[in-house]
Amino acid sequence: MIIAERKSMNEILDMLDGVKKLLVLGCRGCVAVCSAGGDKEVEIMASAIRLGKKLAGEPIKIEATTYIRQCDPEYIEPLKKEGKKYDAVLSMACGVGVNFIADLCPGVKVLPGVNTTFYGANLSSGEWKEMCAGCGSCVLHLTGGLCPVARCAKRLSNGPCGGSQGGRCEIHPDTPCVWHFIHERLQEQGEADRLKEIMPIRDWSPAGDAGPRRRVREDLLP
Amino acid sequence: MARKKSKKRASAGIVGFCCNYTVSVEPEMLKERGLVPEDVAFKRLPCTGRLEVPAILDAFTEGAEAVFVAGCQIDECHNLSGSKRAAKRVQYARKILEELGLQPERLEMVFVPRGESEPIVEAARELKMRLSTMEGRS
Amino acid sequence: MIANSNLENILTSGRFAVTGELGPPKSGDPEVVRKKVRILKGHVDAVNITDCQTAIVRMSSLTAGLLALSEGVEPVMQMTCRDRNRIGIQAEILGASALGIKNLLCLTGDHQKFGNHPQARGVFDMDSIQLLSMMKGMRDDRKFQCGEEIKSHEPRLFLGCAANPFADPFEFRAVRLGKKVDAGANFVQTQIIYNVEKFKKFMEMVCDLGIHEKCYILAGVTPPKSLGMARYMKKFVPGLDVTDEVIQRLEDAADKKEEGINICVDIINQVKEIPGVAGVHIMAIEWEEAVPEIVSRAKLGPRPEPTGIEPVLMDRAAVETAVEKAKEAAERELQVQIDTAKKEADASRKLVLKEKERLSAEMEQIKKELEEAKRMASQKEAEVKKLASELQTAKSQPKEMVASQPAAQAAAIAAPAGAALTPREQAVLNSLHMGLDALKKALGLSDEQYEALRRFLEAEFMLFAGEEPQAVPAAPPSEPAPAPQPEPEPTVATREPVAEAPPPPPEPEAPAELAGLPPVPEGLTAEEWQRKWVIRLVARGNLQMLKGDFQGAIETFKQALAIEPDNEKAKRGLSQAESGKAPEMAMPEPEAAPVETPAAEEKIEVKPAEEEARPEPVVEEKAAPEPEVVKKKEPAAEVKSAPAPKAAPAAEGPEAFELPKETVPLIERAGSISEELYKEPASGRIYEVTIGEGEKAITVGGNDTLPFHLFEGDMPNPPKVAYEVLDSAPEEWPEPLAQYYSDCFEDPVKWAQKCVNEFGAESICVSLVSTDPNGMNRPSDEAAKIAQKVVEAVDVPIILWGCGNAEKDTETLREVTSLIGNKKVCLSPLTDANYRTLGATAMAFQLPVVAATPIDVNLAKQLNILLENLGLPLDHILMDPSIGAVGYGLEYTYSVMERITLAALTQQDEKLAVPFICNLGREVWKAKECRLPSDDILGDQERRGVMMEAITASSLLLAGGALMVMRHPKAVALTESLIKAMV
Repeated sequence: MIIAERKSMNEILDMLDGVKKLLVLGCRGCVAVCSAGGDKEVEIMASAIRLGKKLAGEPIKIEATTYIRQCDPEYIEPLKKEGKKYDAVLSMACGVGVNFIADLCPGVKVLPGVNTTFYGANLSSGEWKEMCAGCGSCVLHLTGGLCPVARCAKRLSNGPCGGSQGGRCEIHPDTPCVWHFIHERLQEQGEADRLKEIMPIRDWSPAGDAGPRRRVREDLLP
Repeated sequence: MARKKSKKRASAGIVGFCCNYTVSVEPEMLKERGLVPEDVAFKRLPCTGRLEVPAILDAFTEGAEAVFVAGCQIDECHNLSGSKRAAKRVQYARKILEELGLQPERLEMVFVPRGESEPIVEAARELKMRLSTMEGRS
Repeated sequence: MIANSNLENILTSGRFAVTGELGPPKSGDPEVVRKKVRILKGHVDAVNITDCQTAIVRMSSLTAGLLALSEGVEPVMQMTCRDRNRIGIQAEILGASALGIKNLLCLTGDHQKFGNHPQARGVFDMDSIQLLSMMKGMRDDRKFQCGEEIKSHEPRLFLGCAANPFADPFEFRAVRLGKKVDAGANFVQTQIIYNVEKFKKFMEMVCDLGIHEKCYILAGVTPPKSLGMARYMKKFVPGLDVTDEVIQRLEDAADKKEEGINICVDIINQVKEIPGVAGVHIMAIEWEEAVPEIVSRAKLGPRPEPTGIEPVLMDRAAVETAVEKAKEAAERELQVQIDTAKKEADASRKLVLKEKERLSAEMEQIKKELEEAKRMASQKEAEVKKLASELQTAKSQPKEMVASQPAAQAAAIAAPAGAALTPREQAVLNSLHMGLDALKKALGLSDEQYEALRRFLEAEFMLFAGEEPQAVPAAPPSEPAPAPQPEPEPTVATREPVAEAPPPPPEPEAPAELAGLPPVPEGLTAEEWQRKWVIRLVARGNLQMLKGDFQGAIETFKQALAIEPDNEKAKRGLSQAESGKAPEMAMPEPEAAPVETPAAEEKIEVKPAEEEARPEPVVEEKAAPEPEVVKKKEPAAEVKSAPAPKAAPAAEGPEAFELPKETVPLIERAGSISEELYKEPASGRIYEVTIGEGEKAITVGGNDTLPFHLFEGDMPNPPKVAYEVLDSAPEEWPEPLAQYYSDCFEDPVKWAQKCVNEFGAESICVSLVSTDPNGMNRPSDEAAKIAQKVVEAVDVPIILWGCGNAEKDTETLREVTSLIGNKKVCLSPLTDANYRTLGATAMAFQLPVVAATPIDVNLAKQLNILLENLGLPLDHILMDPSIGAVGYGLEYTYSVMERITLAALTQQDEKLAVPFICNLGREVWKAKECRLPSDDILGDQERRGVMMEAITASSLLLAGGALMVMRHPKAVALTESLIKAMV
């Protein structure tokens, strides 16, 4: 899922300068699952802004609600009207939600309440880790299911660099060297020879380097 | 719910959220006996595990200068992990306070052995002390 | 020859190469570079110019490299993938090539995190191996990375790569180097070596793979400048293995720098002996002065005069020097040409003089002969005259005819003296011409020159003046020596003015040097040198084969065999070369080295977290919310209208609620979404447990799907509800609940019958609350008798629920079973404190039991296992996970039940695959919310209680509850109608 992280309160209060009536708008999609922008986090954000504004001596009226998703037009529909009742809408959804509201709801000032960080998995309660970079051309079948694009600091294609030590990446002792584990995994699977092949230079255009990406499935179009 | 209740009790200097199981003595009695300062307002919770971050923040918004949360000893919680959760939420609330420019020392979690009230008295006094040494509200 | 760089020349000629390293400055000061280069000059064959090493911004490798070049030291340019994409890299390389760069070290580059701009975006469009491929493609295939042709001046670069023998996984390191060589690396520079033993192991693997024969490996060394530096490298530089011995040596040394150099020299001497090592790369960054000392102590100096250095760009001073040099060289050459011309002119002048002498001598002779002829002619004349006079005298005599003859003779003799030449003269002229021809050939005269000379001599000859011939002009303009050419303009573009002068370096193919074994270098035994030399020959042969020079390869291999006839590699190479086949590039299997398998704990850490199959929030269909809303609303509406709490008399039975059933199956609602996408069929099945016997027996469990997920599995037995009957009058039941039973509070039998007959109870749970030692503490035998009566009075299945005191429950329940005989009641609760005794009782009578545990998956599982070990089959067990009412811990219960259900259904956790019994009535009705009277805020008390109980029940149903123990008939009715609607 998409992982996001609450913006710092200083940043939020800065962007709310002059806002007197605010809607904090959560999303029950990914950000709810990763505890960044669901109902609970919306409550916390609203309370925190209230406190922050009070400390600053600025009055503010805050309402809070959470949509099922902010990345489908039908869920956003009510905001087209509702949103205009507020000086600003602080979206707790990922960047997709903020953009979508900006696209679909003219006249509504939408602000981001979270930083959208990565595509990740939930390691344990409260911990998420990047697992995919959305590069648009998956090579996981060649790498034992472990992604060198998302999980190698240099996005290497041909094995661990000289900084791999004891299964750790040189950039941080907490970061595993994914190539070390690709090597290990392929050895377990009896496919270590695969790493002898030179993986050719990648085409990054599906990764977004060729411009904003779009996907169409003709059979589903209205 | 906690937020609605606390609105009635605005203007308190210190707010203490207390676990129902832990605090066997009516906290008000502590006040009557003069063990805790007058401006401490107690709020009983069925379990501190029920205490959410917004309730803590709202206590400040409604005028509290400091807040403490009194829960069971961490491994003796009536609801097993209630006070553990509370401690983590307190930690998170402290982070938000700091981001908002409030000293995190204004918020404290205390663990109270069942049936004792001493730690609560201590916490209330300690916070009172801290407040007196702090400059302004931020 | 690939790039004709000095480094390439040194390596291909089989000499041990020495390269240095130079870090460009963090400024635009060229003098810093020049100063360092001057220190290294003459001590290294080439110098690596780092490309912003450790990601710190410095003068670029190309520009610093050009400065080195202008100082006459060959640079090895470095290129990392960190800062440029494929467009930038290729552009830079074209420029580098244009400006005379010939060596390129291809690196991925240190991560920007380590540098002074950690916030920079790392490019990493490709990695070092792909960079090598791209460079090789540009050079050998004359193609840009995109495939477009490079029409001319493709960059010809000698390509290098780095290798770190000390990084992990160790066994992959040689393989990775092999990939780099396959991708295009011609030479390799290794990470700094301190651990020579490990490096040796690495080189063994490299040699096993034959990589050393396809490239030149330079061992990286660095003199530790101080103890602090050595410690820092040991501790903080990943992939650098500084041995304790090195640290110790530095610790013990008085002069750390001196010892640092000694350590470096020792390491060089050791690595030099390792097969496959073709040179050393000395990295003494910011300590360049150490390099000359190291090179000389390691007996690697002086380095051969560099070749192939062609600076294209130079600074003004260098340009002037170069111009001066070029001028001098041109003048020198001119002088040589002039001298030669002069000599040749002198020689030809002498020759001409000689010939002239010869000719004049001959003319003298001819003159003499002519004199003689003249004299003879005059004599003849006299004779003629004499004859004429005789004729005159004889006129008178008739001898006239005779007299005319001598006259004709005289006329014939006289004629040549005037016009024609005599045959002799003709012969003289002919010989003169022949002499001239020879002269022309000898001197290479042009036709005009020859003609001129000929005419001159003929004229002289014809003039016949008898004077001495005039002196030949000193240097005729047509002298054979080529005219001095116009002075060559010494421009910047002059190529190789000096390089031409010294004899070319011996080519690798030059047989002269290869014929035998070159003299043994110092520090090597003859035997070692021979081995080393053979290795180099073999490597060279392989290289030649790769280049397609099979003839050369055969020669080389033969030489190798001449020195060491048993060398397998040479033999193989020879046969390959003779068959015209390049050596196979495929590398042999690396040994499955058991070295350094990472600790098990590390393994665990990166395994993707897959333990928990989390419910996917994303599959939620857009159409779903609508029908759901409708469903939820309806029961609420019914409640509102149906029970009129105040009017409800005790006798009135619960209304039957009818909830609309979902008529459109999911498969239709899902529309085009394929079933696989939302169906996740379970792999397990919950055991079926039957309570009671005969027609009225109830069976719960048996489902192989999550509760009510009928679209993906089967739920053969809908959940059931049991009415709770207390064995003594309850004291604290709130009125809205009590009103239904108050008429039979004192008589459990009547109570149970009422439930069955009036409310249609399908089963009864008799709570033996009276036995509680902390309460009424009714003796077990008394309680047992009451229970017995109830059991016998109704025909629906009975659950006997103890007071919760383990000892007392054992006593009471055993007592009951002994009274009721074979009647199939269900015994509960069995806890870890009394499961043995009660379990044995249950086994004896084949009764189902309830295993009760305090809200914990593991405890629940453990108790089931204990019971099963005791001999009680799992299909006789119901689980009581400990129930919390809504608002009183329901979420804990829900979560535990959900986890147990998921474990049972999707993780084949058979020990958890037993149905739940949820004794919830007692939990709900003790809640404060059920006791507070009706008021405006909280609303009607009964409805509140009913809703509390029904909502608790419905939540537990969704969590997997199979049997609900409840109290309020309306709540039961609501729950049953919900079940009915959903299955």
